[in-house]
Amino acid sequence: MSEEKAYRRLETSQLLQQISFRHMLEAHAASEDGNLTWITSGFPVEIPIAMGIGVVYPEQYAAIVGAQKVGPDICGLAEEYGYSNELCSYARASIGATIKPDQSPLGGLPRPQALLACNNICGTVLRWYDAVSELTGAPVYLFDTPPIDDEQLPHHVAYVRQGLHKLVDFLAKKFDTTMEKENLRKVSQYSSDAIRLWIDSLEACKNKPSPLNCADRFLTMAPVVSSRGKDYCVEFYQALNDEVRGRVKDGIGAIRDERVRLLWDNIPPWFQIFRFFNGLAKKGVVFPADTYTHAWSGKVSGDDLYGSITEVYSNVYLNKGLEAKADKMVQLIKDYALDGFIMFSVRSCKRYSLGQMVTRELVTERTGVPGTIIEGDMVDSRLFNDAQIQTRVEALLEMFV
Amino acid sequence: MNKFSLVAIVLLYYIPLDMFFYATETCNHVRFWTWNINIIRDKMYKTKGNALHKVDSLLSDGEVIDSSTERLRNLSKQGGTIIGYLYPHTPIELFLAHGLTPSLMRVDPQMSAGFEDSLQTFACAFTRNVYSQRAHGGFIDYSGFLFPGNTCDALQNVGDVWRQRFSEDTVLRLTYPVSPRSESTVSFLAEEMRLLSKALERQYGKSFSQDEYSTAVSLVNSFRTGAQFLYASRIVNPETPSYRELVGLVVDFMVAPVEGLLRDLDEMVSVAKSTNDAQGKAGLVENVLQGLMAGTPLQIHIEELPEHTRLLVLGGMVDPFNLAELVDGIENATANVIALDMLSFSFKSIFTPTVESSNNPYISLAKAILGAPLEPTQEGLQRRMAFLRQLLETHIFDGIVVCEQSFCDPDEFEAPSMYRIADEIGIPSLRLPIDPELSDRGRLEGRIQTFLETLEEDK
Repeated sequence: MSEEKAYRRLETSQLLQQISFRHMLEAHAASEDGNLTWITSGFPVEIPIAMGIGVVYPEQYAAIVGAQKVGPDICGLAEEYGYSNELCSYARASIGATIKPDQSPLGGLPRPQALLACNNICGTVLRWYDAVSELTGAPVYLFDTPPIDDEQLPHHVAYVRQGLHKLVDFLAKKFDTTMEKENLRKVSQYSSDAIRLWIDSLEACKNKPSPLNCADRFLTMAPVVSSRGKDYCVEFYQALNDEVRGRVKDGIGAIRDERVRLLWDNIPPWFQIFRFFNGLAKKGVVFPADTYTHAWSGKVSGDDLYGSITEVYSNVYLNKGLEAKADKMVQLIKDYALDGFIMFSVRSCKRYSLGQMVTRELVTERTGVPGTIIEGDMVDSRLFNDAQIQTRVEALLEMFV
Repeated sequence: MNKFSLVAIVLLYYIPLDMFFYATETCNHVRFWTWNINIIRDKMYKTKGNALHKVDSLLSDGEVIDSSTERLRNLSKQGGTIIGYLYPHTPIELFLAHGLTPSLMRVDPQMSAGFEDSLQTFACAFTRNVYSQRAHGGFIDYSGFLFPGNTCDALQNVGDVWRQRFSEDTVLRLTYPVSPRSESTVSFLAEEMRLLSKALERQYGKSFSQDEYSTAVSLVNSFRTGAQFLYASRIVNPETPSYRELVGLVVDFMVAPVEGLLRDLDEMVSVAKSTNDAQGKAGLVENVLQGLMAGTPLQIHIEELPEHTRLLVLGGMVDPFNLAELVDGIENATANVIALDMLSFSFKSIFTPTVESSNNPYISLAKAILGAPLEPTQEGLQRRMAFLRQLLETHIFDGIVVCEQSFCDPDEFEAPSMYRIADEIGIPSLRLPIDPELSDRGRLEGRIQTFLETLEEDK
């Protein structure tokens, strides 16, 4: 059976290419107009979009670097500049491409006029953006969302909300613009609509066979990360949702012979995203759920939009403790009727990865399903031991035979 | 003579008079610990008061760790409640105000960091070392552990892992704002500390005492003021006191912040002042101190300084005493070449502004902590680099050494900016990848030695 036969390609993929192309064109135009921000994936993008400011995502760019299998080269540029190879490869790829855009995919990202970082996904983003700031001269605004242990306490809420107001002031001053309440409401509506459709597509994977596999979700999540708040983002997710629901209705799975359903934890190895997941698809392994793509699930809504943004962006998956992560995995395993799980221990991502050893035990204890941990990196393929990983995955799969 | 009389006489023979004095009054907590630690120190080193740091300075780092552990064990046996902390900007005054002893959890160079069943190899070397100590049965005298929140991903997550793996431990968290001092960050941190205070009261049954707080503030302020002077003084006279003596005392204070150490500090200050006066350098030291305190350019010129190789050591949570011991171990070298460090458990802790008295201790503590020299864990790279540039532009430093603790994101992200500034100003730099175990000690020594030789040749 060929790879194509084991794995069904989404029709929406073509639309995805168009939307990604449009996103990049808009970013270049914004940069030329002196109106572009680089932004982290967990940033409340509704704010700059509502203020008419362009956004582009270095994390997505780094994923492209990884997918084009030039991670070691581009990360190497940052290393030559003094950045340790122990640092996050998203950061190294982004810094490397900033240093030498002519040697980087797509000619690097268009030059930013400001850098917007939110530390709800990790602490690295601040230092990474500070480094880019040194290289580009663009100022950094850090939207500080302290991690939440159990519940978000009132002083956390107040502090984050104050940061939101300061953000608006910063953008207004930097880009000579204003925040119109109606704009924010409209953008938030687009954002919520896109997320609603995205969540529905994710939840469709509870069905057997699962209409989406891991690679499908990792690729189609791009617009919800980068373009939520835009009308065309809603259109894309409507198309995706139609295709996904159509598959469910027709009993069509993402892979042809679904036998084992697993949960994926963490960012994928972008440099072999198809090879890895399609290779497992040949063995009947599908991933109906993962912890990463489910992270974009908070809808900005209600009368108090700033309050909603504060809550949504403080309570993202990675901004919570180990217990919350284990709870989420347990819930996904139950809801999606999964047989086991694979945790990708990503050397670049300490916030996501440190604690996985403990989480694995907790999740197995609570669900009774087995899991394994494989170690590597999402962009830097030098840190990915294929043979070792295959051995570990094979050992897990033997438990389901 | 009955047994009790015999015991009493023996005790009186060994117990210093000041301890008797303290024991017989209704003493506050800090004083209680003061006499306790004096006994321990006296018995341990068969010497008294001021001589301790000198004895410490002759010990290897492993032995210093052992002595610290022993000291804490005795504190614990005396009924003290010790809370370990890992982040330099911990409000130690708050713990003392609750009658608790805050104690810096130092890395142990003898410890081989492992525990891949709990922490991956890419957890930072500092957290892995401390975690390994606990897993090997260390820190048994500690009644709780304070982890910082929102400082770096490793400390954040290791705190969670600790809670799970050592479920019998009391794990507390104090979350810091990443952004610099402002009304909102002070307010946030103050509330975090108020909640921590409540948690301490709940957990240990010891309420916040205003008197003990005042005593603690006075103790910590006095220590910092004296130590700040010595950091400034060493730039002028790097041997008075030696780097090892100074950071040994600082680390001692972080492990057990007790009044007795002020005597050692006072003596060091006194000797340094005499030396400065004799050389007519008192005004110069005062200028340097003001510059360091304010983060403004140092009013100093190389011609005003005695001939001496001067290094500026940069980095984060590298144990300064470890470093001193490493450099002192190099043939024909002494740690006194380190004229100034900007390490977390050294300069950045010591140059925390003094805590001002106010009706709200949490606000006062928050203002002081957020007024400390910024850590690479915080926002403010530009500010930090501007300060570094100011220091280097004085041209009083022959070279910089940048300690990059393995898998420490904050250290490793900041290092390239430091090299660039040094390069622009024309000051040689040495990159020193380091871990708490000094696992590649021979290579580290070789690199430092070669660097020092190069600097000498260039002079």
